This record gives sequence, C-alpha cells and structure tokens, in this order.
Amino acid sequence: MTRLAVALLVLVARIASADPEADADAAFKRAGQLAVSGDPATVNTAIAAYEQLGSARPITRWTDDAWAEAARLAEFSRDYARARRALEQVLEIGTDDRLVARARAALARIEEEGGPAFDAVRAEHERLASEIYGTDDDPTAALTALGALVEQNPTYPRANAARLALALGWEAEGDRGEAMRWFRAAAEAGRRERGQHARLEYVRALTRAADLAEAETELAALDPTLVDSAGARQAAEKLETAYQRRRLRIGLGIALLVIGIGALALARRDLGSWRALGAKLIRPPIEVWFLLPLALLLSLVALPGNPLIARAVRWIGVAGVVIAWLSGTTLEAARAKAPVSARRALTHGLVVVGCVAAAVYLVVAYVGLLDLLEETWRGGPAMD
Amino acid sequence: MRPATLLLCLALAPACVKGNPIELDGDLLTEGGTLRIDGCGYDLTTRYGAEAPRPGTAVFGPDPTPRHVHLGIMGDPKTSVVAQWRTKDDKTLASEIRYAKGASLPAADLVEEKAGIVFAYRSTGAEEIRVHQAHLCGLEPGTSYSYQVGGTDLDGAKSYSPVYTFRTAPDTVAHPDSEVVFGFVGDSRGGYDVWQLLIDELSDRQPDLILFSGDAVTIGLTQYEWEEFFDRAEPLFARVPLVSAHGNHEVNAVNYFSQIALPGDQENFGVDYGFAHITVGNDTPDDISKLAGEFKDKIAADMAKSNSARWKLFMHHQPMFSASTRHGPSQTLQDAWLPLVDQYKIDLVLNGHDHDYEISRPMINKQVQATNDNATVFVVAGGAGAELYDNGSDYWTLYSEKTYNAAVIRVRRDQMTMEAFRHDGTQIPQGFSKSKP
Repeated sequence: MTRLAVALLVLVARIASADPEADADAAFKRAGQLAVSGDPATVNTAIAAYEQLGSARPITRWTDDAWAEAARLAEFSRDYARARRALEQVLEIGTDDRLVARARAALARIEEEGGPAFDAVRAEHERLASEIYGTDDDPTAALTALGALVEQNPTYPRANAARLALALGWEAEGDRGEAMRWFRAAAEAGRRERGQHARLEYVRALTRAADLAEAETELAALDPTLVDSAGARQAAEKLETAYQRRRLRIGLGIALLVIGIGALALARRDLGSWRALGAKLIRPPIEVWFLLPLALLLSLVALPGNPLIARAVRWIGVAGVVIAWLSGTTLEAARAKAPVSARRALTHGLVVVGCVAAAVYLVVAYVGLLDLLEETWRGGPAMD
Repeated sequence: MRPATLLLCLALAPACVKGNPIELDGDLLTEGGTLRIDGCGYDLTTRYGAEAPRPGTAVFGPDPTPRHVHLGIMGDPKTSVVAQWRTKDDKTLASEIRYAKGASLPAADLVEEKAGIVFAYRSTGAEEIRVHQAHLCGLEPGTSYSYQVGGTDLDGAKSYSPVYTFRTAPDTVAHPDSEVVFGFVGDSRGGYDVWQLLIDELSDRQPDLILFSGDAVTIGLTQYEWEEFFDRAEPLFARVPLVSAHGNHEVNAVNYFSQIALPGDQENFGVDYGFAHITVGNDTPDDISKLAGEFKDKIAADMAKSNSARWKLFMHHQPMFSASTRHGPSQTLQDAWLPLVDQYKIDLVLNGHDHDYEISRPMINKQVQATNDNATVFVVAGGAGAELYDNGSDYWTLYSEKTYNAAVIRVRRDQMTMEAFRHDGTQIPQGFSKSKP
C-alpha cells in the first residue's frame, strides 16, 4: 500500500513538473528525424507524429510548426487532402504570422491547381511529369498517359503545363508531329504568361527542328500585347542565326562538293583515265597513313570526355582523312605527270586548309557545338 | 565605350572591369568611392565605372517614378536591410525611404523617413544608370515593415513607389522554433519568360531570402538584360532580399556590383540568416590566381568565423561536381575550395552554371558517403531560363534532370530540407533533407 502511494506521488510529481514546451520540442525533433528518411512509409509515420503533436494540448510554440511540417510532407507525398487539413490547422492556430502567410499561400496554390476535385489528377500529373523529365527509361508510355489525362480533364488548371511537358517530351523522343501538336495546343491555351511562354517555346522548337519558315510565321503571329520583349527578341535572333547558319552550311557544303569533284577531275586528267584514278584511290597516300593513326588516337583520347566534343573529334578525324586522301591522291597524280610547281603547291595547300576549315565548321554545326563556342566567345571560357 | 573596346571586353571580359579599358565621356566621375553609412556600422563602396556614393538631393528629372525596387543585405539581416531602386529617367537625385513597422500598411501610415544615397554608373557606352539606395538599420528581428521609396523635390512634389512589405530575419535565441525559407535559383540569362514563371512559383512559396547563384544576364556589361531581370523580379525582390553569387557571365561588371547590394566586398562574404550561415564566393575572379589565393583565404576566414553555425551553406556559381555534358565538374575549384568544404563540414553547396538540375550523394573528399552526417551534398540548379543543357550521371550523382528549375530550402534548428520544382510548378522528386541531433 505504501509502495503504491509512493509510486502515485512520484507520478503526480512528474506530471506536475512536466514541461510541455520541452516535451513538444523533443517530439518535434523526433518527428523531424523520421521526416528526413526519404522512405515513404517512414515519412508517413513522421506526418502522423507531427499531426499528433499538432493535436496535443496545451498549445506550445511547436504546435503550428508541427502542422506546417505535416502539410509540407503531405503535399510532397501528393496527399493533398491531408495537406489541406494541416494547413487549415495552421491558419486556425495562427500564432506565427510567417507560418500563417505561408499556409495561406500553400492553400491558395493547392486551390488554384483545382482544389479537391483535381487532387487525383494533380497527383497523376506529378507522377507522370517526373517519369517524363526525370528518368532515363523510355518515357513513351508516360507521355501517352499524360496526353490522355490532359484530354480527359481539359478544365484541369495545370493542363497547359502538362501540354508543354508533352511537347518537350515528344520532341526529345524525336516525334516531331506529336511535339508540334502539343506545342500548338499549349500555345493556344493557358494563362496569359504561360500561353505566351508556350508560344515562344513553339517558335524555339520550330527553329530547333529547322522548320524556319513556320517559325517565322509563328513569330510574326505573336500577339503584340503578349509579346515578351526579351523572349521574342531572343527567339527572333535565334531564328535569324539559324537562317545564317543554314545559308553558310549549304554554301560550304556546295563548295566542298565542287572542290572534291574538281580534285577528282584534275587527278583524272593528270592520270589519263578514270580507271587509273580508281587504282590510285584504292592505295591510300602517305598523308592518310600519317593522319589515320593520329585521328584514331585523338578520337580515343576524346572518348571519355564531353560526348559532344568526342563526337566532333571523331567526325573531324573522318573529314580530315577524306580530305587528306583526296589531297594526297591529287598531288600524287600531278607529280606522276610533271613536277609540281611552287605556285600549284601553294594553291593546293590553301585549298586544303580552306576545306579543312569548312569541314570543321560543318562538323561543329552538325554535332551542335556552335552555341557552346559562341557562348565561350561571349562569356569567357569555363575554367575546365 | 567604343566598338573596339567593347569587342576587347567581349573577348577578355574580366579585364574590362579593373583593367580600366573603359573610356568615359562627359563629366560623370566614375572612379568609385566609399561612403560611411551612419547607424549601420558599415561602408558603401562603389566600383570603378561608378560615381562615389553621395546623399540624395531634392531634384527631380523628367520622370522620377521609382522602378526596379529590390532589397539587399549589407549588415545583420535581423536588424537591417537595403532598399535599392532606380527612377524611370535615371536623372532624379531625390532619394528617400518611408517606412513603418507592420505588414501591408497604407502609405499614410509610413511615418518614419530616411534619406537615400545615389550614385550613377556608365554602361555600354554613354548610357548613364543611376542607382538609389536606402539603408535601414536598428530594425527589430523577425518583424514585418512596410515601406515605399522615392523622393520629394524642392517644390514639394512627391514620387513614390507602391508600398511593399519585408520582414527581418528572426532572432533564433528568442524563437527556437523559427523556420526560414530560402528561394534558390540561378542562370536566368537570356530566358526571361521562364524567369518570370519561376519568380511566380517562388513567390507562391513565400521565401524569406533569395539565393541567386549567378548568371542573371548574358553579358554583365549590357544594361538591357538587367532591365528584364529586375522588371520581372520586382514583385518578389521588393519583398524579399536578394543574396547573389557572381557568375561568369556577369564578367565582374560595374552593373552587377552597382545594382545588387551585398555585404563586404560583394564577392566573397557570409550572411547569417535564421539557423543558417551562407558563405558566398566569386569563382570567376578578374585574376584566376585569386581562386586559390586571396579568394580562398576570404572564404576560409568566413567559414572559420561561422564554424559554430547550426547549418552551413556555400553558394558559388560553377559546380565542383556536375555530370552535365556541357561544363561538368570543375577540377580547378575542387583543388582550390573543396578542402575548405570538407574542413568546415559544409552541409549544402549551391551552384548553377550547368543549366539543369542535379543533386549529389553525400560526399567527403570526393568520396561518396553512406549517410549525410558530416558530409556535403552538392546541388546544381542552373535552370532559371537560360537554354537547357543535357544532364548526365557520374559516381556522385543522386539525381539529375534536364529541366528549368528552382528550389526552396527550409531551415529549422534541427532540420534542413530542400524541395526543387520545375517552371511549370511540378515537383522534382529528389530534394534534400537532413536532421541534426
């Protein structure tokens, strides 16, 4: 009996001396340790722990913080109904104006994104967006599913964001038809600024796809009241640059072709017949034996580095070998007929240098390194 | 600036700023200068290319309407803030801030007044840009203030901005449950439609401070892009202070240092905010040898001084670890600064430069760790509008994505989390979270 009385006294004393603030502080810390685990089940336990702390009374300084954390984790876990309930608790307690402001903004965001009627659509949109943007797996199935989701829910407030994701996703997959369909759909719908952004994305996509005429038409058709001055100006500049580069590429391509045919014709004249030229071409000239191992070595050295540069080095090597082959054959053919004059050798050398420069430009343009070179020129080199 | 000088600047950008090839016409004295800010305990120093700062005078130009209102930090963010703006005419010299304690107060209730400071700088030739600053010190921690900036001329005519509200950093001793939220974003250059979308998304998340990791514009010397950058951001930047790291595209231009108020030398400095200490470094100095010399020493000194901070962040532009196929990891920075990151047990390193999103596994001395206790996580979030680069994966990569993005970092006493999101508002699935006992 005495023992029981003592135990009761100790218990009463403990309860009397309990510090709700300290207890809440410790409980908040414990929930926080669960929250950072990243494991969905543990995070769910953390949300429950925060909710329990938020519901406990008396109210401590940690009560509204616990609800705010529960809301944050629930929203991240795509449980929007649970997040909404927790945010409403923060507003109801309302002891920290900063937390209240954030809760109000988060609630507005959730409502703006469709409210409870679209909770499931939003969760599915988030899931599919992450599959499209964030995995190396084939995203075709996710793209198809997101397309169906958008078409089934045309009033979903974030449908336009989904249309853009679809456009970019299909473009990355190389399905230009689908990409352009969704770019057009996004450009014709959406909130003011997002619609404008979508139109500019459409122009950029057309430029990337080298459909320059349509890009120009779309750019000209932009609503002047919606035009993003910088964005539109940059899109126009990109388009003009694309035109210039196309003209340059075509010009250089034709020049290389003409020079190549000319070189062959010259060699044929010097050797006397196409048959003799064919026999000569089969045996690589000394220039090729010199360049080939060098090109192979450079290609191998470049392989582990930047893949764009590795690709460029490889194709420059190929172009170099072809030019060296033609150049060497032409020179050998000329020497077979008569000694090569200094003037002709000089001309030959200059033409070869020009061909190499043209080939390097075409390769750099082909692998998509022109912008990087331009950026380096304008912004200075990166340190590595 | 003459065309030949401009071309030289484009080619050798860093040399343009301190190497003095800028030629100036007219009577604008642009040697820079220093002004003691009374009541704040610090000096304001302007760079070569800008005038010496001086108090405003009651003179209006043709259109004194304030614009590009934005906040900065030069002192203790618990008790001080810098409001900065320009006027539409760039001629107005009247400069003043009106403020009062309380959120969203009507203009009539802004009973406190403080005189502002003005200075002009020259940008891309004869263009004259005039900056106004008002330094508020002695504020109360964790408190909302309403303010408007502008001025009054000799005839008593007034021209003020709308009223905005900002909040000082919390006093974590008095409020151990304080949470602070940082918006983290970078590389907006050339993509201001996306920048606008991300500003909207960041505003929705109600940050206390914006951490910008550099490359706001394509070339720091050209003013028109800065106009776009600040135009789009004003609704957020007028409420939330901006802390920026210098990016390679800012090219150490006077435009950057004049328009963004930052502590210390504006290049390598630290800020305490809530339970976090943020060290900021300039990894594109005008002289590259400074990286492992003077700049490293400054960063080390700041990290040593803040070694007892509960949470430690380090922001600079170019990533030490990035698997993007465009720039990739910087060996130079790994050699120069990584030992400091390990020595001072930095929790989170924030970078841009590669236009994608990437978060690393926890690392110590380039080695991946099983947990993030005492280890550092490196984040690349350079997707605020500049053309995207291909992402990639390396041994350190936890997650990467080729996407426009920004993030919010929430710091409490015992936990820090980071949630990243895309420009369309969807969440990037892999963020960061860490707790401390």
